[in-house]
Amino acid sequence: MTTYDIIVIGGGHNGLTHAAYLARAGKKVLVLERRHVLGGAAVTEEVFPGFKFSVCSYVVSLLRPEIIRDLDLPRHGLEILPLDGTFTPMPNGDYLWRVNDHGQTHREIARHSRLDAEAYDEFGKAMQPMCHFVKPIMNMVPPDPTGFNPKDLSKLLFLARRFQKLSSEDRYNLVQLMTMSSADFLDQWFETDVLKATMSASGIIGTFLGVRSPGTAYVLLHHYMGEIDGAFRAWGFARGGTGGISNAIGEAAVEAGVEIRKETGVAKIIVKNGRAVGVALANGDEIYGRVISSSVDPRHTFIEFIDNANLPADFLDEVKRYKFRGSSGKVNLALDALPDFKCMPGPGAHLRGAISISPAVDYMERAYDDAKYGMFSRRPYIDMVIPSLTDPSVAPPGKHVMSCFVQYAPYKLRPGLHWDQLKDDFGNTVIDTISEYAPNLKNIILHKQVVTPLDLEREWGLSEGNIFQGELSLEQLFFLRPVSGFARFRTPIKNLYMCGSATHPGGGIMGAPGRLSALEVLKDAN
Amino acid sequence: MSNSHDVVIIGGGHNGLVAAFYLARAGYKPLVLERRNQVGGAAITEEFHPGFRASLLAHSAGPLRPEVVRDMQLEKHGLKMITPAVDVTALSPDGRALVLYRDIEKAAADIAKISKSDAAKYREFHAALEKTSRIISKVLTLTPPEISRPSKSDLFGLLQLGRSVRGSGKKNTYDLLRWGPMAIADLVAEFFENDLLRAVIAARGIFGTFLGPWSAGTALVLLLRAAADANPAGGNCFAAGGMGAITQAMAKSAQQAGAEILTGAEVAEIKIKDGAVRGVALVSGEEIQARAVISNADPKRTFLKLMDPVLLSPTFTKRLQNFRMNGTVAKINLALSGLPSFSGLDGNNDAVSGRIHIGPGIDYLERAFDESKYGNFSRAPYLEIAIPSLTDPSLAPRGQHVMSVYMQYAPYKLKNATWQDQRIALGDTVIKTIAQYAPDLPGKILHTQVITPLDLEEIYGLTGGQIFHGELALDQIFTMRPMLDWARYRTPIENLYLCGSGTHPGTGLTGASGANAAREILKDLKARR
Repeated sequence: MTTYDIIVIGGGHNGLTHAAYLARAGKKVLVLERRHVLGGAAVTEEVFPGFKFSVCSYVVSLLRPEIIRDLDLPRHGLEILPLDGTFTPMPNGDYLWRVNDHGQTHREIARHSRLDAEAYDEFGKAMQPMCHFVKPIMNMVPPDPTGFNPKDLSKLLFLARRFQKLSSEDRYNLVQLMTMSSADFLDQWFETDVLKATMSASGIIGTFLGVRSPGTAYVLLHHYMGEIDGAFRAWGFARGGTGGISNAIGEAAVEAGVEIRKETGVAKIIVKNGRAVGVALANGDEIYGRVISSSVDPRHTFIEFIDNANLPADFLDEVKRYKFRGSSGKVNLALDALPDFKCMPGPGAHLRGAISISPAVDYMERAYDDAKYGMFSRRPYIDMVIPSLTDPSVAPPGKHVMSCFVQYAPYKLRPGLHWDQLKDDFGNTVIDTISEYAPNLKNIILHKQVVTPLDLEREWGLSEGNIFQGELSLEQLFFLRPVSGFARFRTPIKNLYMCGSATHPGGGIMGAPGRLSALEVLKDAN
Repeated sequence: MSNSHDVVIIGGGHNGLVAAFYLARAGYKPLVLERRNQVGGAAITEEFHPGFRASLLAHSAGPLRPEVVRDMQLEKHGLKMITPAVDVTALSPDGRALVLYRDIEKAAADIAKISKSDAAKYREFHAALEKTSRIISKVLTLTPPEISRPSKSDLFGLLQLGRSVRGSGKKNTYDLLRWGPMAIADLVAEFFENDLLRAVIAARGIFGTFLGPWSAGTALVLLLRAAADANPAGGNCFAAGGMGAITQAMAKSAQQAGAEILTGAEVAEIKIKDGAVRGVALVSGEEIQARAVISNADPKRTFLKLMDPVLLSPTFTKRLQNFRMNGTVAKINLALSGLPSFSGLDGNNDAVSGRIHIGPGIDYLERAFDESKYGNFSRAPYLEIAIPSLTDPSLAPRGQHVMSVYMQYAPYKLKNATWQDQRIALGDTVIKTIAQYAPDLPGKILHTQVITPLDLEEIYGLTGGQIFHGELALDQIFTMRPMLDWARYRTPIENLYLCGSGTHPGTGLTGASGANAAREILKDLKARR
């Protein structure tokens, strides 16, 4: 029976990235994927004949350039199609339509407020140095702030120095970004409610926080980080759906010699006197490896896969208190025609970008209020895209797929409610909400797929339906992610590593956790 | 009174008096100018109904920094602090109140009636807070460092801090780092299972803020307060004769040290020439020269009302305008013909001698906050009640009582309503709420005084009705209070300083801001001698 150098649990984009880097370093790597298809939450599935849905994650912006380069992803079929702009319809029949064309966006915002049009440019400029400050952190193995070894101290010093070197203005902005709520932060820049609302949305995606919750401002950065190095990594679709990214990484991995087994669920991680030595499959088979890397979230890895007797009690406590709290769902629609928006009738470029139902800051906050008390938003925030307009391959000729990201859909419902009973109600609420802006929607729906947080947990293995494998809240970032003292991809169990979104720098189709952790595995191996 | 002084202090609130004392002790002759006819700012005792005296605004102290009490010899100047046996009693609709004694073991014993594990966790949380408070109280007395060019003493202070943080061990360091940005609701949930206990502790993280228990960063507010008193639900510091007694003692102490105090002297304008302060002009028209002016007024009042903002850089003004001062607290004082009986406490006067908490669950508190986000005051508010006359009979006629109530959330900015026409409704809401726990209260009310956030601004000079001179939030503390680059009590105007709660640490009635400011100002004054 062959022994592998590394066994990777989970064939999501991080697991595959991790595997590819290790194989390229000459390691013998096996990837085990529970489902019939690779990609984890970055997956394309033909849910209805001819209609290919990016079932979970649906846009890409943060995929690390070094990964695209190192794994030569374009050669393996990765093609990012631009997603141009964000269209926000308003109840009063007006709209806000921001596009990548600077002049046009400026004129559009000026239509709402001249001051904001000016401020918008300033804002973009102000964000650039912020991104430059944050980016190296994305590629950094978090230091241990309690550690005394020179490496940790020098890293901390490095950050302190960088902060010190910022101009007073940048420092002020950075501190605010890191601590404020996106609503408060944007209030300082803009006066147009719909502009603030639709911008603040990027601060709450995937979190159980509202636009007025402190700590949501920094997520605004991610949007600009996508754009910072020019159009290529601006927000876009992968051709063939988000699964196209995972497939490209998968092919790169296979080419590098990685062995991938689908429909092979892991049941246990085999631990012998404090060392991980292999995995036991659902079917009882055992596979042995020198190193086990888990790209699934900490709850599966440590609570489900490992006999808790093998873990320190306080570590286990921290894993148990690690917050998932999924807050979003998806509604994927197969359409017979295009939605027709009251405020901008007929087809047009506005349908090619993101369409955001985020008309007012209070609207966003009230959506959160519903969720706090255990119910999905009666009037939710919805982010829609119609990829079939840019990539005809995902729908039959003349037909379309529309992907609706919906927040809030709290995993934990108040007592007496259950997602399986609420599923239809939830789907209808979303469709009703959109119909207020695009009345023809109900008549053009051929099929609909409703994905609740409970579905995300059961089908895609995301605990509590959190799309980032754990909340991106301040106390769960950097050297605190996922567990303080274990933010460096290593675990209390020797030869067991974490390489998923639950590790620094976290979720989103970034690939950074998979890559960084691979480099650490290699460091230890050599 | 000569009309030239070396130092003029605008505002005779507790921080102004503390600063005055330290400057006088160092041999200067500070002149404190108080707009109202008595010193004390928000720490005052007034007769609000014949024979009834109340701590009109603040009804319990921070508590004061021990070094301030010591240096100013406040006991010697007549201050007598009262510490009831009970810190807080949390009322619950089902009548099963939670009595948190000052004594941790007694408190734990009462908690054990509801939950054995919570009783144990209460001790554990108390121990944890004691550890973190040792570190944080160091921060409270620290002058926020100069970031671009840290001075030797800055670096030394930070080094000391860093060492005590790391010295506290891996676990505590990580607790501190992890807890700070958390929502208090999450933090208490990590320790406790009982919702009432969670709520009464969480209340400490939201009091006076425009945040709810689910808002990130509220855990830090609790940690800051715990630095003054590590009791999980917070301590309890009444003063004999009401809060005014504290500031009266401070005034005596400052005067004895050589400070001069002038009441009924409202400053109209801070006189500035060539970017440096020259003195102040009073509403009376009188002008007073000074080598240095220290403002105990809040930052916005100081820079936007008491001087011409054009003297400030646009950046500074922008940041100042961004400094959030949204008041959320109203104050209701009741004169009572007798002691109301609280259900579930069957005449246990000890239980109501401390602070009384109404806010029976985390969701209750959060819902109270929700309303304020949309510009309404809470219909089911979070209340903190004190009946100081129980431990201090001097405040009311024999057998009668004074009830002092903080009401939250009462947002300064109301949507489609004004505080003038909401005043009555606010009072009624508070009385109705308390009556649910003390049904006989309404029949005992002789007089009701309602102080709205607007009153706090107009009568007591708290901009936006913000009782802490600026929200306590992650982005408005330490080096960011009141703003980055200007958190060291100095201002862009030469010889103009800040010493109020709008500066670090600025967490209520502790005197720390005044003491820190005085330390920095003395450095400058000595340097110029």
